[in-house]
Amino acid sequence: MGAPEASAPTPSPTRAAAIRTHGIGRTFGAAVALADIDVTITAGTVHALVGQNGAGKSTLLGILAGRIEPTSGTFEVFGEHVSIGSPRAARAAGIAAIYQELTIIPQLTAMANVFVARPRSRAGLLDERAMRRRYDELSARLGVHVPPDAIARDLSVAQQQLLEIMRALDAEARVIFFDEPTAPLGPSEREALFALMRDLREQGVTMVFVSHALDEVLSISDDVTVFRDGRLRASRPTSTWTKQSLVDEMLGRSAEIALAEVAATTVEAVTGAADAPLVPAAPRRAADAAPRAVATSTAEPGLRVRDLFVSGSSEGVSFEVRGGEMVGIGGLVGAGRSSVLRALAGLDRRARGELWIDGRQVPWPRSVRQALRHGIALLPEDRKGQGLVLGMSAMENVTLSDLGAVATASVVSMRRMRRAAGESAAGYGFDVRRLDEPARNLSGGNQQKLLLARWGHRRPRFLLADEPTRGIDVGAKAEILATLQGLAADGMGVLLVSSELEEVATSCTRVFVMSGGRVVADQPIDLATRSVEDTVADILYAAFHVEETHV
Amino acid sequence: MSDLTAALRPGASTGGDALPPTAGSSGAPAGGPAGGPAGGDTAKRRRSFSDLAFKYGMVWLLVLLVGWAEWTYPGFTSWGNMQNVLAQNATIGIVAVGMTFVMISGGFDLSVGAIYAGCSVFFAQFALSLPMELAFVLAVAIGATAGLVNGLLVTALKVNPFVATLGTASVFGGAAFLYSDSSPILNNEPGFEWLGMGKVAGVPVAILVLALVFVIGGLVLSRTVYGRSLYAVGGNAEAARLAGLPVGLLKTSAYVLVGACAGVAGCVIASRLQVGQADIGSTIALDAIAAVVIGGTSLFGGEGAVWRTAVGLLIIAIIRNVSQSRGFDINVESVITGFIIVGAVALDAYARNRRR
Repeated sequence: MGAPEASAPTPSPTRAAAIRTHGIGRTFGAAVALADIDVTITAGTVHALVGQNGAGKSTLLGILAGRIEPTSGTFEVFGEHVSIGSPRAARAAGIAAIYQELTIIPQLTAMANVFVARPRSRAGLLDERAMRRRYDELSARLGVHVPPDAIARDLSVAQQQLLEIMRALDAEARVIFFDEPTAPLGPSEREALFALMRDLREQGVTMVFVSHALDEVLSISDDVTVFRDGRLRASRPTSTWTKQSLVDEMLGRSAEIALAEVAATTVEAVTGAADAPLVPAAPRRAADAAPRAVATSTAEPGLRVRDLFVSGSSEGVSFEVRGGEMVGIGGLVGAGRSSVLRALAGLDRRARGELWIDGRQVPWPRSVRQALRHGIALLPEDRKGQGLVLGMSAMENVTLSDLGAVATASVVSMRRMRRAAGESAAGYGFDVRRLDEPARNLSGGNQQKLLLARWGHRRPRFLLADEPTRGIDVGAKAEILATLQGLAADGMGVLLVSSELEEVATSCTRVFVMSGGRVVADQPIDLATRSVEDTVADILYAAFHVEETHV
Repeated sequence: MSDLTAALRPGASTGGDALPPTAGSSGAPAGGPAGGPAGGDTAKRRRSFSDLAFKYGMVWLLVLLVGWAEWTYPGFTSWGNMQNVLAQNATIGIVAVGMTFVMISGGFDLSVGAIYAGCSVFFAQFALSLPMELAFVLAVAIGATAGLVNGLLVTALKVNPFVATLGTASVFGGAAFLYSDSSPILNNEPGFEWLGMGKVAGVPVAILVLALVFVIGGLVLSRTVYGRSLYAVGGNAEAARLAGLPVGLLKTSAYVLVGACAGVAGCVIASRLQVGQADIGSTIALDAIAAVVIGGTSLFGGEGAVWRTAVGLLIIAIIRNVSQSRGFDINVESVITGFIIVGAVALDAYARNRRR
């Protein structure tokens, strides 16, 4: 590996290192998640890891906690080598991790949860008194009190998080990892957590945390390490960073990096593919004319959402998508993007909001079938769990959206199913000779093409695509984006959520950016006047609430 | 067995469980002729050959059993004995077809025994005063209503199917005892015995009913929009919901169907015995589930077929027939059947793992 341009990490001197890594790397198949990481976490400090989605920070946490096995490299904890890929070894070395998905067992009491891995016992029987004593000690040490006999599912997320921290302290953890600890918390709970983290730091506990909230990072941490594209870009004391310089480092705008190249190849692949007969054959009146121009000139409004509320994830979201337009939703993980799609698709009964279709108000969809009657279809993020019936053949999966269309008097005609599935699937670049194969046997890219073909078969007016290119190889990604653009060119309104902001920048005509459940920016994308790189930066600046001063 | 040879052709085997060749349907499913893609390499052929060994394992067992039965007991394949085998197991078979629907949709029903017994009581009672046809329709409608209750418990109230039908089994069974005052309802009206004992063109009516239920059930499951949707719901309920299928309605309908099937079976047994009794259904639920499971329909839903249930039913029926006519201890029969049930499910689990 030996990246020549990697900036030399300069850890805070004088104090001992809690964790020191040597050339840690991890690949998933052909994708490099993390390359050649040398980082030092100083003992008794709070160390923040920041970076865009997929930059590698959570992977690093996972490796240090023994949850993910690295493909290369080693690390030491307080000077001692820790055998890699073993959660037990990491724990024995004094590392505890608190993930976004808490590991609280909802049916057990608060106290039972704290001692779930290390219950106190005497002569083989649980020693309730010893546990209660220890629980009180830990509560006193943290300066908080969660009722020990409360059932965990009745506690707030913040309280559950406290139980996890108590669990870590009970195990004498010297290093605690927090993965996005503040994401589920309200403002006052965040403050309480920070106060607690400062206390723990006084007590000599080392903490590493991942966060997207840069204000928090700057206020609580002692050192900040920035990741980009799986590499460590800078690791410096917090006093030397500003919000602006952090974002710039995350984007790689100061150092000239390959971002522009990456984006350029995507554009090429997309436009190249769009010329090929990937676009569904049906009514492609506008497909040959420049689709972007068509999209922006189409005046009739398609779908309009006003004041969408979903408790905990959307706080008054308003936007619109016209037919023939492909709109991206930008933002970071947890910004509420997927929840907007789920609510529109009729999957969230808690959703409240107003919905207009072609200028006519319709009731907010309460079920998938209602949403489909409004012409709204969802391409779900979890292809295997929510999209495909894996044991069924490819053609059955395609025609599932409208079996009636291939049946006479409700008797399915296999001949017509094959023909309809073939017509639809071929339009999305799916090899029609594989129509008989069970969906289980197909690659991720082909499975996604099947799901697109499913909606191609039914032809909804609006398609909500949730991370349609996740886990798909580069070539298929470009095809799928081109297909979505083709659908938009044919008059469909497409709403795209993608963590790869370059994809949004290169394939959408407009983007609105969400942060904390609100829309914080809504702007057209015009690659003629603003580069892909700048567009991505605009989205991130908006998502991070940074006023751009950079030119 | 032309279905099997059709399935041997490359390309046609993949549709296997989802597009089952139906008992009594003519010719191979449409997957055969149009589908022959390039894939004819040896690796694929070898794989599909061993797949066949698993996929049709119970068919091979059935063939062996028939040979063994004929060898130990020469009159086995005579028409007279065949009538016996089928007529004795007609009620189990009728219930098992409905159970196949429920299990493919990802559900389970333990209450069919109580519905079956209850409907035998209602049919015997109603036919005392009403025309037999009307009594039959009413009894079956009551069975279907009981199924609707199960379906709503499972889909609307989201009670686990096992628990829901365990509970309703007790409710329905108790209600049948109360209605009949815990005593058999005799019915010696002329014509009442037609359904269970009568013959049409030399074939017992019960066997005709059994065949009709199997053929219709098989066609509905393999050929209709409804059947296809049921596979999708059982295979991946969330995906089916996102594709726009009415998942709750489909699941409920399967319970209604099995309730109606249990009603039909209850009428057949009442007519055959010329008595309606609330205590006759104790084993039929497990026998029907055994027939479905031995055939190879998955307990996890989404996979299986009515023809598979026919195979499972025949296996159980033959073992029973041979052990009865050879004078085996009834407990020996139960041991053998138990081995086959566990063996069938183990085979299914093994094939499932191998596919990963």
